[in-house]
Amino acid sequence: MEIGLIGQPNAGKSALFTKLTGIGAISSNYPGTTVEFQEGSVVRHGVRLNFHDLPGTYSLTGISEDELVATTLLAEKQLEAVVAVADATRLEQSLVLIFQLIELGFKVVVALNQIDVARKRYALDAQHLEEILGVPVVPTVAITGEGVEDLVDMLVSGRSKASEFEVRYDRHIENLLEDLCVDPECMTGKFPKRGALLKLLEGNRFFAEQFSDAFKERVRQATVEFREDHGEDIEVHINRDRYGEAGRIANGVISNRVPPRKLSERVSDATLRPHTGIPILVAVLGGIFLVIVFVGGFVEGALISIYNAIVGDLFLKLADLIGGTLGGAIAEGINLAFQAILAIVIPYIMLFYLMLGMMEDSGYMPRVVVLLDGVMHRIGLHGRAVIPMIVGMGCNVPAILSTRVLESRRERLILAIVIVIAVPCSAQTAVIIGTVGNFAGAVWALGIYVILVAILLVLGRVLHRFLFKFEPTSLAMEIPELRWPQPRNVLWKTWVRTKDFFVVAFPILLVGSIVLEILMTYGVLQALVAPLAPFTEGFLGLPAITIVALIFGILRKEMALQMLVVLFGTANLALVMTPEQLFVFALIMATYLPCLSALLVLSREFGWKDSLKISLASVTFAFLLGGLVNALFQIF
Amino acid sequence: MTSEITEEYLEAVYDLTQEGDAARTNDIAERMRVSPASATEMVQRLSGEGYLSYERYKGVSLTEKGMAVAKKIKRKHRLVERFLVDVLGAKKGEFHDEACRLEHAISDESERRICQIVNNPRFCPDGDPIPECEVGDCHMCQDHPCLPLAEMREGQTGEITHLKCEDSNRIRRLISMGLVPGRSLMLEERTPMGGPLLVRLGESRVALAKDYADLVMVQPERSKKGRTKASGSTG
Repeated sequence: MEIGLIGQPNAGKSALFTKLTGIGAISSNYPGTTVEFQEGSVVRHGVRLNFHDLPGTYSLTGISEDELVATTLLAEKQLEAVVAVADATRLEQSLVLIFQLIELGFKVVVALNQIDVARKRYALDAQHLEEILGVPVVPTVAITGEGVEDLVDMLVSGRSKASEFEVRYDRHIENLLEDLCVDPECMTGKFPKRGALLKLLEGNRFFAEQFSDAFKERVRQATVEFREDHGEDIEVHINRDRYGEAGRIANGVISNRVPPRKLSERVSDATLRPHTGIPILVAVLGGIFLVIVFVGGFVEGALISIYNAIVGDLFLKLADLIGGTLGGAIAEGINLAFQAILAIVIPYIMLFYLMLGMMEDSGYMPRVVVLLDGVMHRIGLHGRAVIPMIVGMGCNVPAILSTRVLESRRERLILAIVIVIAVPCSAQTAVIIGTVGNFAGAVWALGIYVILVAILLVLGRVLHRFLFKFEPTSLAMEIPELRWPQPRNVLWKTWVRTKDFFVVAFPILLVGSIVLEILMTYGVLQALVAPLAPFTEGFLGLPAITIVALIFGILRKEMALQMLVVLFGTANLALVMTPEQLFVFALIMATYLPCLSALLVLSREFGWKDSLKISLASVTFAFLLGGLVNALFQIF
Repeated sequence: MTSEITEEYLEAVYDLTQEGDAARTNDIAERMRVSPASATEMVQRLSGEGYLSYERYKGVSLTEKGMAVAKKIKRKHRLVERFLVDVLGAKKGEFHDEACRLEHAISDESERRICQIVNNPRFCPDGDPIPECEVGDCHMCQDHPCLPLAEMREGQTGEITHLKCEDSNRIRRLISMGLVPGRSLMLEERTPMGGPLLVRLGESRVALAKDYADLVMVQPERSKKGRTKASGSTG
């Protein structure tokens, strides 16, 4: 049995999906978390239920990419039932979507989700709602699992059904529907006449397969006439009537409103209102940075010493076992791969995702978007671009994927470039802190961040003014209430997001590490040192041998620091490099393409041509910047 | 009070003199579907009453007094047309005759109310201009001007009247956020640096960039009533 889960953003579809299938879907307290749909099936009472978790959508018009995914799937897949996930705290809006599902003849079960939160605010008569809509209504709390079994029973016993319920539109629209319905070319196909026709009148191309082109043209003509007569789109009128009806129904089933709790409301407001929200935002971002640097640094140190204590001379034995220089290289490669996971992934990346998870789950992210939208627009980016940028401070791979929250490809491309060049990922942060921060002082490290912010501001402007000649689309976004993060959800998300580092990245890291060690052992990388010395020493002002770490860093940024240590044969970099040199080195590391996996994701999202251009641009930019800063150091 | 027939004649002269020239009695007769003789007789009578000025060989034109009546009736006619189309959903072709009959029956007070309901439009459904309201500062317009959401005061509540936009993608985005005519909203706050506006809309809260907020036309509520409604809807 194919079942679709559909609802407006942030209604709790993903949480419900997780409870229904036991498969974890990432859910956050902000719209647009599910960009691709997930599938999962369970067998209940001998019936196989195959659930499709669709991205949240307010309408069935497919304006943005995530809405497009939901709409296309709904229109094209043969769904035997649809679970309309309604948000009991925003009933009106949920009803508008339910009306359209009923109009299109879907067999609907309404999951009246977040009923626990709604109950604190008012009494909601689900029974009455069921009678009005003519489809089953099951109150649920997806987070705790309340009502989920009832929902499954409802689906298994086939009680989801198409309803006779109709929204009555204004006279002109009803007349138009009547006239068009008697047209011989108006066929009932996959969808009922009335529903499909309404979608067509709304200018929606997704539910119109059953109509001939001539008929579609006739309908288009009718909408043009309507516009001329009324001075307003028929779409606006249709939706005005839907919201009117939704408001009437909501008023009918909701009673005993209680005023909202003062404290939570006040905190929620404080994070949103500029005069309190901006200081809070600065504190939150600063806090995250401090936690990553200090807690992350502490955890790294602890993990590495534990690792060393456990491993002991294991790798020396392994080297002897394989024998020769090759054995030494292989053993060292494996050793370094393990260390990279322990030194970067667990302390920095996991910690970052843990905090990101809390911010997402609490509903804080949309507040960041709102507060920074004005600034973001000045640099040619959409307010929503803040989220991928913050995600990019953890890792550029999910950040590039999450650029999909933007509507156009151009905006996504600009954002991806900005992230790749100017947003330091946690590995880049580790390099900055580990070199400049440790051996040249915090002020120098801060200097790098100041430069990165400056690049960010200039780059966005330059890209959208001169290269893409394009104004970013404007913000229109719903803001959820703040709530306490759900620990299980946060931990689950952190695990899902870091899992890939262990199961996908680690094998690659292991092989890459061994290969690089072998190349090093046989002096292949070092062979590049002498020919490139004029560039390294002359242009960048760095010791010739650092070019190995820089090239190596293209493949694996997080290991560049260890490379430097290995190359110089000392852990105290201050002995071999001046603060200026460390600064230039870290700046180059911070601005060029993070790693191979980021490149792979870029090409998957934007095609290899554009991603190659981005990579070349970022590498060139990084070296030019390094050269420039070096030149400035020479002068002053 | 002018009679219906007087109003019809003045309206006809108004239409015929739109191009600037005076009207010929033959044209008036044709338009009123009467014989030239009866038209001439009526023109002479209205000249006597001071509504028209009639010069031999030159033609008929409206006096100041006549112009005021003609404009008023034209305004009522076109407002009624808008009302029939926008509110009652009448189709093209079916509203004109009805408007012709109603224009004479509508009181000035009703005219103002209709004007308010259809949002003080400037053009009739056929695209002809609606003569401006003679009062100009009618209390309806003063108390209930409709204004873009972006120009509302913080804390002000109102009802969405229409969306002023041609771009269907933007309209769709507004609709999907629930910004639909007929719904009540409250402007909570503006964010600095030209950032978005925070709008309370039913149970939800929406952040809307200024250029979107410019497209949403709102009829603000009267201040006292507005307060109580606002606190009720934040629940």
